[in-house]
Amino acid sequence: MAEMENDVSPIETEQREYVEDGKNKLVVQCKFCGSKILDKKSSNYIAQEKDLPLMQQASNNDREVQNETIKEFYHVENMYTFENIGFTHTVDNHKYLSCADCDAGPVGYHDTNTRHSYVAISRIVHSK
Amino acid sequence: MAKKTYDLLFKLLLIGDSGVGKTCILFRFSDNHFTTTFISTIGIDFKIKTVELRGKKIKLQIWDTAGQERFHTITTSYYRGAMGIMLVYDITNEKTFDDIVKWLRNIDEHANEDVEKMILGNKCDMEEKRVVSKERGEAIAREHGIRFMETSAKANINIDRAFSELAEAILDKTAGREADADHSRIAVERRPSRAPPSRACCT
Repeated sequence: MAEMENDVSPIETEQREYVEDGKNKLVVQCKFCGSKILDKKSSNYIAQEKDLPLMQQASNNDREVQNETIKEFYHVENMYTFENIGFTHTVDNHKYLSCADCDAGPVGYHDTNTRHSYVAISRIVHSK
Repeated sequence: MAKKTYDLLFKLLLIGDSGVGKTCILFRFSDNHFTTTFISTIGIDFKIKTVELRGKKIKLQIWDTAGQERFHTITTSYYRGAMGIMLVYDITNEKTFDDIVKWLRNIDEHANEDVEKMILGNKCDMEEKRVVSKERGEAIAREHGIRFMETSAKANINIDRAFSELAEAILDKTAGREADADHSRIAVERRPSRAPPSRACCT
């Protein structure tokens, strides 16, 4: 992992690899089981900062949820755009997104007010 | 409005007594690679899955009851818009099987009358604890003219097949009714479907 102070600029260059015309150039899959989450060019790239609970929470800390700040997402306006995805129950106007096949997550969140969904790019893999 | 990237959307429900494994059908707690503690604490509300049947791309939206059945509060609002219902019992628990008739009545009262149903005898991996024979499951399904299958959410037996069959039955029903001219459809790329688990079904 790079040092914290270096992690701003790589985003600019790296995003070209998987973003084309503001959309996901490649198929979006679950990191763990390869389940297809989004078809190519079906969502919009968006840079925004949002805290998401870690996929693996430390087991010795069962009260407090550990978060991490995610900076890049794929924005999905209509939930039926997803190929395969799970939605958790609602917590504070959010539903969390999980893999529909292996239940890994959160891989993103769903805003119950706007009904838009956001997939955390660092928590998925791309494929052709 | 974005173009539709699918042909049909089916809303499916899981119904049955508490403890029959409905939640496991939706949420497999797959411990193969790692535990998803955060997700399992909150629980899954529904899933969207895409299947391809007869060249049509079909989105399945699958809902769990979230424990409402415990309080007998499953009402019309839960059933609204449902096109398919998986009626689940536990082959190791007689009462859950007896209650199938009760659930069928509840469905008749609250759900759309042409909703497609399927009975699932779940937990068929627990053969040593079985109290409901497969024949009895088949008999009650036959009696009500409903499809039947034995499944194991835990061992991932017949789960995907059950959803495909239910979707196919709905597709049969809706064929001829889906000629909505104003739905702009885009060509759907054919892709190999994910290989179904090749495990033998329960006998």
